[in-house]
Amino acid sequence: MNPFVATLVFWCAMLAGAAAQAADPPAAGRVKHVVGSVVLVRGDVSHPVAVGALVLPGDRIVTGPRSRAGLTLADDTLLAMGPDTVLSIDEFAFDPTRQEGGLLATVFKGAIRVVSGLLARRAPESVRFRTPTMVLGVRGTEFIIDTRGAGQ
Amino acid sequence: MAGLAAMTGCAQLSDRIILLPGPDGQAGAVAIQALASGTSVRLAQPYAQADIRGGRIDTGVTDRQRVDEAYGDLTLAQPARARTFVVRFQASSQQLTPDSLPVLAEALALLPRLPAVELIVTGHTDRVGTQEANDKLSLARAQAVSELLVRAGVAREVISVVGRGEREPLIPTADEVAEPGNRRVDIKLR
Repeated sequence: MNPFVATLVFWCAMLAGAAAQAADPPAAGRVKHVVGSVVLVRGDVSHPVAVGALVLPGDRIVTGPRSRAGLTLADDTLLAMGPDTVLSIDEFAFDPTRQEGGLLATVFKGAIRVVSGLLARRAPESVRFRTPTMVLGVRGTEFIIDTRGAGQ
Repeated sequence: MAGLAAMTGCAQLSDRIILLPGPDGQAGAVAIQALASGTSVRLAQPYAQADIRGGRIDTGVTDRQRVDEAYGDLTLAQPARARTFVVRFQASSQQLTPDSLPVLAEALALLPRLPAVELIVTGHTDRVGTQEANDKLSLARAQAVSELLVRAGVAREVISVVGRGEREPLIPTADEVAEPGNRRVDIKLR
């Protein structure tokens, strides 16, 4: 199957599953490191975050100048954000029993360092990172995405 | 106008992707696709680098020193890698094996050093019995370890319990083979 179609089918299945479950989406991850000004945007509400804050699918995290943040997702993915960075966790699902699910994240601005987790190890096609100019698929690995010019 | 747009495009910095080695020195791989052109490249060597500008992707190689200089902030911001401690039960018992006790103590000693710590306690079985029965058994084993941790002073709300059944044997076997080495509970701290 075309990977984009496979991804679409996957997310439709995930969304159907999510609708059938309780209203509260399970957390995508947790904030582990905060220096300076770090704001979490959820829908129309934004508020400063501290270490320990939960990150939900759909949340956007924004670091200010001379600021940084670190998150650990439920599948052990580590996300480190540099200053002046905007990162959106567009989609996230992880079933810890089967170690299945998916991650889609967008770096609108700034730079992140990624250590991929169990999702990329079990099903690499289920993990994707985007910027305004590219889409990146992960084959179990560590890497930096720096948007540099885009969105600035 | 087209010329001006092209010039503006050239003046803009590119997106940059750098593949890094893991703790073992090996790199995995990433596949990158430029949205404007559909052009794609695969990076698979440590410190391989790709610059994406418009629809174009230029590849090259950087090194550790340059990455440390440009992206030191990212290294400082990275949360601790998950660490896993494995404990086992005595045969047909809820008692941990004697050699599991120091492992448990080591895990407990690490707890205060991790910010917003989470413990993921995952039970595993061997392949004797049905998958459904093993899902239940592995969850019961994980719950037993979770209770030990709570009694040792760990806050219940930072623990999550998972039964992974027979899906992840440490020692691969055929179905229905008894293998004590696969009856275990992982305590993952992150």
